[in-house]
Amino acid sequence: MKIINKYIAITALLFIGFNACTKDEKAAELNVTKNMVSDKTWYLDYSVTNNTTKSYVGQTTYFINFLKTGRTNDSDGISGTYQIQKPANMLQVQVTATTVSGTSANYTYDIESVGNQNLILAYTKNGIRTQLYYSTK
Amino acid sequence: MYEFNLKGRQIIVVLFLVIAPQFLNAQNLFTKSKAFVLSKTNQVNGSGIYLFGGMDLSKQNISTGSYASAFNYNLSNYSNNAFKPGFFAGLRAQTAYQQNHALSFDMSIHRMSTGTNYKESVTLQPFLGTFSQFKADNLFWMLNTAVHYKQILNITDTSKFKFQLVFGPSLDTRLSAQSEDNIAHSNYHRLVLKGDIGLEFSNRNYYTFFLHYKQGISSFTASPIHTSLNSFDFGMLVKASDFF
Repeated sequence: MKIINKYIAITALLFIGFNACTKDEKAAELNVTKNMVSDKTWYLDYSVTNNTTKSYVGQTTYFINFLKTGRTNDSDGISGTYQIQKPANMLQVQVTATTVSGTSANYTYDIESVGNQNLILAYTKNGIRTQLYYSTK
Repeated sequence: MYEFNLKGRQIIVVLFLVIAPQFLNAQNLFTKSKAFVLSKTNQVNGSGIYLFGGMDLSKQNISTGSYASAFNYNLSNYSNNAFKPGFFAGLRAQTAYQQNHALSFDMSIHRMSTGTNYKESVTLQPFLGTFSQFKADNLFWMLNTAVHYKQILNITDTSKFKFQLVFGPSLDTRLSAQSEDNIAHSNYHRLVLKGDIGLEFSNRNYYTFFLHYKQGISSFTASPIHTSLNSFDFGMLVKASDFF
């Protein structure tokens, strides 16, 4: 049975060796999210509030750019920086920006869903949840 | 934060292929072991070390169940219900035939490219299309180890040609890292248990052609995602002593 023992030994060594490698899950999640979001122009297609859907498809609509450098600007002329974070169980994009007139415009949106072509952001104001559906067109 | 890079994996694969034959040195081991029937004419009884290689066709059948993540993947870009080709090479240690049956121990490295069959999808209305919150990786380096029972089928003159029915368990060990999308939720397991069944045709043990079907028994992914990794292996094996 010597050959079986050696066979098992080789398999076990390789298994232990390869299992020794792990990567931080949270860092990976933030990195994947940033890669999906960045270097794209996101166009607002729909907004949903209280189960009421408003469509902007086919119209001149709001858009926002997230650059790989960490900078952001939108169709309203607001520009600044952004960060992807996950303080609790929800991914968030935190924007620190100023308007054209120089007024501070800081806000945080929850990232409900993110992909390479579809992005759903949401915020709660006065207890009312609003979802913003963006696509890259 | 450590991760094997491709170069590291390649070195390990090369080392494995170079060192393993020396380490096993199965001709000697077989002659020392009482567990195996010995013969001076290995060409007839089939025992010894073999090298093999070939191509595989693989597919993952994926049920995502109640899995939830913040990521969405449009299935029109990711779903591919087909077996996709890869390749493999490895070593076999085989016992002598005893009353028309034998055992073989296979160890092989697979570069596996897989189709991805998503059985479930989600919608993101009002967006059109179907999505998944899980993106299956479709390229893996695997170490496959298998123990197969072989039974000669008496349908030809077995002194010349042998048709053999082969079955037994095998274990795939994923050598390659997961994609970052899956590291984020530790979706892929390292090990997959499979059940193998197949046919082999050998010409006086000069060479053997084989076709194996490998059905995933354990899930390749962590619960609640269930992924069955299935594959067909086609290949040829020859005695290592013909080369060394």
